[in-house]
Amino acid sequence: MTTQTTAATPAAAPTENASTGLIGIPPHIGRALATGGSILAVVSTFLAWTWTDEFPGDLTFYGYPGGLQVLVLVGGALATLFALASYGVKGLGWLTPAGADAALKYAVLGTFVTAWYTILAISFKLGGLVNLEPGGYVVAAATLIALLGALALPFERPEPDPIDPDATGWELFRHQAGHRWATARAAFASGSPRPVRALPSYAEILIIVAVLALALVVFTYGIGTEYDELFIGFLITAGFAFAALNGAGLVAHASQITARHTNITVCGAFIAAACFPFTQTDDQYATLGVYILIFATVALGLNIVVGLAGLLDLGYVAFLGVGAYAAALVSGSPSSPFGVHFPFWAAVIVGAVASLVFGVLIGAPTLRLRGDYLAIVTLGFGEIFRIAANNTDGTSGPDLTNGSNGIASIPDLSILGFDLGVPHDIAGFTIGRFANYFFLMLLITAVVVLVFRRSGDSRIGRAWVAIREDETAAEAMGIHGFRVKLIAFAVGATLAGLAGTVQAHVTYTVTPEQYLFAGTTPPNSAFLLAAVVLGGMGTIAGPLIGAALLFLIPNKLQFLGDYQLLAFGLALVLLMRFRPEGLIPNRRRQLEFHEEAEAPTVLSKTGA
Amino acid sequence: MNELPQQLVNGLLLGSMYGLVAIGYTMVYGIVQLINFAHGEIFMVGAFGALTVHLYILPDGTSIWVALPLMLLGAVIVSVLVAIGAERFAYRPLRGAPRLAPLITAIGLSLALQQAVWAFYPEAKSKLPFPQIEGGPFSIGGATIQTGDIFLLVAAPISMGFLAYFVMRTRTGRGMQATAQDPDTAKLMGVNTDRIIVIAFALGAVFAAIGGVASGLKYGQIDFKMGFILGLKAFTAAVLGGIGNIYGAMIGGVVLGVAETLATAYIADIPGLDKFGSQSWADVWAFILLILVLLFRPQGLLGERVADRA
Repeated sequence: MTTQTTAATPAAAPTENASTGLIGIPPHIGRALATGGSILAVVSTFLAWTWTDEFPGDLTFYGYPGGLQVLVLVGGALATLFALASYGVKGLGWLTPAGADAALKYAVLGTFVTAWYTILAISFKLGGLVNLEPGGYVVAAATLIALLGALALPFERPEPDPIDPDATGWELFRHQAGHRWATARAAFASGSPRPVRALPSYAEILIIVAVLALALVVFTYGIGTEYDELFIGFLITAGFAFAALNGAGLVAHASQITARHTNITVCGAFIAAACFPFTQTDDQYATLGVYILIFATVALGLNIVVGLAGLLDLGYVAFLGVGAYAAALVSGSPSSPFGVHFPFWAAVIVGAVASLVFGVLIGAPTLRLRGDYLAIVTLGFGEIFRIAANNTDGTSGPDLTNGSNGIASIPDLSILGFDLGVPHDIAGFTIGRFANYFFLMLLITAVVVLVFRRSGDSRIGRAWVAIREDETAAEAMGIHGFRVKLIAFAVGATLAGLAGTVQAHVTYTVTPEQYLFAGTTPPNSAFLLAAVVLGGMGTIAGPLIGAALLFLIPNKLQFLGDYQLLAFGLALVLLMRFRPEGLIPNRRRQLEFHEEAEAPTVLSKTGA
Repeated sequence: MNELPQQLVNGLLLGSMYGLVAIGYTMVYGIVQLINFAHGEIFMVGAFGALTVHLYILPDGTSIWVALPLMLLGAVIVSVLVAIGAERFAYRPLRGAPRLAPLITAIGLSLALQQAVWAFYPEAKSKLPFPQIEGGPFSIGGATIQTGDIFLLVAAPISMGFLAYFVMRTRTGRGMQATAQDPDTAKLMGVNTDRIIVIAFALGAVFAAIGGVASGLKYGQIDFKMGFILGLKAFTAAVLGGIGNIYGAMIGGVVLGVAETLATAYIADIPGLDKFGSQSWADVWAFILLILVLLFRPQGLLGERVADRA
């Protein structure tokens, strides 16, 4: 929206004489530089950036971009579009319902970071700047110019707080730093988006389809990245592109449209997910897909407990373990002492019921008390489960779980004569073992999503939220706190058990070491909690995205290795400090976490 | 030979260690109603602080009687610094945030501290030997006490006595009691509650550090994971004694220690449970005890405080 920028300039002018941007370049030159730089960046991706194919992705070709160049191309194209939209080019107005400048800044910054990351990675990996071809210099210069231009764009500067005359040097410094931070934030802030025009439903559904297709493409690209640099570049580009779309107001628009057609969106999302195995030529990435799905489903189950009911369950993975062990014990595995082979439906019931029983056993004594007790008791349960599974090997305890060796060679499932262990050909596509399980797991995910949505909207779900917000007040309103909390806890445990029954078959083996509180491979309780918190408590999409990220990051970035858990611990602390509502905030949750800051604006919105 | 006295002594010693760590949980909980999950890690870094003093600061071959006080000092300094830093940067900004926020922060902090020691402390990826006190075990009336336990035998009552004096007699201690009862009123009466909270964290860390050194001397080795299970046990002890009550923490610790020792010693004699008696089941029994306490006496043995006080 160009009107916003012209309106902002005179408003900011009296306080700032020289310039209204972060950098002292006249805004119209800045805009031209940003546009030109972005276009040049796009062009430069068709040049060679380095002379040798030693750098992964082979960036040596003239004519077509490869590897990280594609990411720069995407970022540059996005920046170009936003830049043209900021000039008011006809036909691009729909791109920027909340003003183009913030979006342009994010897009340009994203392109700049990706491009410079690539250039620096090439230089470090191959040992020096000499390894760059002219294209490399061109892209570096183009993105730098675009960034400088974008930073010169005007924005509404925040009024500095009055200075306390008694302030000491340190307080003065903090005050100034705070103001600088607020200014920097304002530079990237966008206006509130104009309301969505009412479109015919078929058009809105088409938009939903397009959004889901885009999500599938992004996800498939991310899962298929073959080397560390490309994955980091992918994260940078995807992150900034999302920020840019958010700044342009497109995310707000998309979420409004999807909110009007929730059922279609959910069904569409499942269809998009079901398309994933068909995009793969072999089973390699379907394996990742099914593990992500297991992790995400369990995280979603945990979100019922943590996000909706506000109960901190720190041993959630143990319920997954109970389900997996229960299913493994009745799977006909040679290491199971029972030697029975239940059909899948029966194994699912056994697993879910076993988890339910443990959930009630743990929940009943603790849920009468304050939430803190539950946290520590579940933490204990997670550990006890592992110890008990380790000990029940016949020598240091009864013979049940085969100790630390676990229950091995669990046979593949066969449902209605369909053997999930062997590849099948469907419509010309070969669907391998893991892809089969991917579909089965998708079914379980659908069940969990269904339970989450239906219960979340029901009387029980509202009671959960009420309990989470204020237990005393909720009980005064006639909610039976203990009963409602126990239901949430038991439902969460059952869903984890359900996922566990499939997990046991996917992994062939269940061992106690798969179900740790904190380990390097998801799912474990700490990662699950991190996925929920990172994604956004109380939402459906949040844990799914959080789980996908938390699975892919350690999987793709092998060099993190030893420092992964350290990073996740710190990330949890920082997240709770700076963005407790997660990537995808639940509206009520966001209000709760930012009481002072957000309340007035939201009040005015609801009032309007 | 009747080995009951021996088991009781073992339980008492183990329980004193639980109690030392439990004090930290109970004090912080009593004042800010926060379960400081990272407290087990404070205990762990204390032990590593002591080891650092021994390995890297003192010259080789320093007598243990000279080294021990200095190691204790090192442990206390490291633990207190970590605890105060955690309070300042992780918990204080979240005061007034929804209940879940500080709990999640505490989990993150616990994980980060554990992993930081694992990743950055030299050779901490495996268990590290802890210096030992020379001399044979002592025998008192049918029970044997290992030399490593003597420190615990001396340190636990002394620190307990000191704590009781501090909380009951000093001005700061009374400020703590006031803050625990009603933080807002205490503030109005001129108590600097922020300072009191920091002191509670720091005092808890001091006892955790003593516990850490005691654990090193008792088991002869330390590792980065030692705080996790011990933290759980110490919390159990705090709940058992009545969380928020400092005497309760010590008594709860002793009861838990004795119960755990007796369970591992005698439960195998109960018909039908003959396979559940080994040391590897000790944690399970401690956990079951916690569940039972929460079921039947959630306010703990000494707790006047209602367990679900809002």
